[in-house]
Amino acid sequence: MSRLPKGCTNVGGSLASAMQKCRTDMISKMHSYGYQTFWPSALQLFESAWEHLPFSLRKRLITLNTPFGEPCCLRADITLAAVSFLASHFSPEERPLRLCYADRIYKTPVRPDIYLEGFQIGAELLGWEGEGADVELIFLLLQSMDMLGLEDSFLVLGDMTFIQQLLSEIDRRTGQSLLTALEKGSYAEYDSMLKSGRVDTYHAQRLSEIPSLKGDLTILKEAERLLPENKSLASLKKILSSLEDLGYANRLKVDLSLIRELNYYSGPIFDVYISRHGRSLGGGGRYDGLLSSYGILGQATGFALDLELIASFSKYTLTVPSIMVWSGGLSPSKVFSMTEMIRQKGTPLEISWNPNRDDSIHLARMRNLKWWVDLSESAVMELGSGEMTILGEWIGGI
Amino acid sequence: MLTIALPTGRVLTEALDLLSKLDLPVTLLKSRGRELVIEDGTYRYILAKPMDVPLHVTYGAADLALVGSDVMWEISAPLIELADTGRGRCRIVIAGPERIAKRFLGHESELMWLRIATKYPNIADRYFSSRGVQVEIIHMHGSIELAPMLGLSDCILDIVQTGITLKANNLKIFENVTPVSLRLTGSVKSVQTKWEEISLILNKMKSLRA
Repeated sequence: MSRLPKGCTNVGGSLASAMQKCRTDMISKMHSYGYQTFWPSALQLFESAWEHLPFSLRKRLITLNTPFGEPCCLRADITLAAVSFLASHFSPEERPLRLCYADRIYKTPVRPDIYLEGFQIGAELLGWEGEGADVELIFLLLQSMDMLGLEDSFLVLGDMTFIQQLLSEIDRRTGQSLLTALEKGSYAEYDSMLKSGRVDTYHAQRLSEIPSLKGDLTILKEAERLLPENKSLASLKKILSSLEDLGYANRLKVDLSLIRELNYYSGPIFDVYISRHGRSLGGGGRYDGLLSSYGILGQATGFALDLELIASFSKYTLTVPSIMVWSGGLSPSKVFSMTEMIRQKGTPLEISWNPNRDDSIHLARMRNLKWWVDLSESAVMELGSGEMTILGEWIGGI
Repeated sequence: MLTIALPTGRVLTEALDLLSKLDLPVTLLKSRGRELVIEDGTYRYILAKPMDVPLHVTYGAADLALVGSDVMWEISAPLIELADTGRGRCRIVIAGPERIAKRFLGHESELMWLRIATKYPNIADRYFSSRGVQVEIIHMHGSIELAPMLGLSDCILDIVQTGITLKANNLKIFENVTPVSLRLTGSVKSVQTKWEEISLILNKMKSLRA
């Protein structure tokens, strides 16, 4: 027996097939809207990655040296590689740049997770101003979810600008501590800081409302009460309004205390969920701050999802009836021409070249296949009941 | 329906008292047999080992949970800490026999390679690492107080309420690591999507504390 390193996994079987199908569908969808596939290097120079990564991710990097002696890390996040690619390969006139990808990422797991490796699928729209870019990305994301049978998916949206605007009214250090408490998900700590006297009563009252600003789209009106003349929610409002017009109102929720793990997000942000699973499938948003850290001015927006999670809930995990086609001693050319008729019906099949009929049937049963086709006799056996049908009639029925 | 995970063991009594003060249905919960999932009205309760409670919330099996802050910090699972209930107050301390006391009074370097017995290996690791001190952590599951006496460790990091057990085993408190209390926690998804129901409970809890 051989084993993999702790924290690593091979994915095979029906999950791997589902992942491949989801990947193909999503990437094709992105291609049809002008997104280009991006294959980032698995290794990133440590010195280049370090300064752009948030502290929480730095601690999780998996580092190594190349045979050339360069200190590197395995890519922990594909967005970073995409921005680096934009910065070094494209002139400002060539923007916007649309990229999509599906590849592995590597980082030290945070409990209760145990795997070092993950599969990330996503898209980035870099270097275009305005809410159109955000809506485009979210629209494609929701369309992709529907295409994969994840119609119960929904988004929880927030806006970093809103929180930052409210926190800018108090001293910077206390503001940062409050932001950290929200990022950690500790409302108790956030409340206790507000009550500690570090913030005056007026601002403490206003800031105490942030965690409660959750719900449907009407919550934005309550939020505007806190910042009446301010434009910090303008982008989010436009995005939500466009998505409503596109028919997605019932799949949108608002949480104005939302802070995503990667602290390079700087505007409207979102988490993606499905009703059948308790944890987020991923998320995204605007990350203009990351772009500016590369010396690029402008807007960038993107999303990244867990491909393995998506696949495991997608329509492709449903068992499809499968067929074993027994060659029955016929020549390969004859087998392939006859098999083609069955394959064109769209049902997955496997050819058995085993000369022994019983062994072939035995293998088909072991694989839990539904039908066994004998090409030499033009007959089909339903493996559950053992009932035989004429091949021509059966093809007409599937 | 809201699903609430509750820790079995000593904390459960405190949790049940709190739930009834919050006007949540607890009749079936109090009269339960060996069932671990109890539905009462629009609430479902899951009973789990204290260390497993945060996982129920993180994976979304439960919307809310009452969990000790010691367990929250030890497990460090991503969840929302909604409120400190103020109940079940105790503290995590470093304690040991008198002969070790002077090592805690001198320079941090005196603590290097101290052997610490604990059921909280992650808290112990973070506590000493943050001070730049390397220690040997001995992970035990119970009767931690015996470890110094039997020569398994130099001292212990453990939860203390009255200190009677420590005294009975001739152990003295050297340092307070952190106060501990029962916290109301929620899954990230539930807090984002069921806020209306959750905030009712949260507000009641806040008014109880006020």
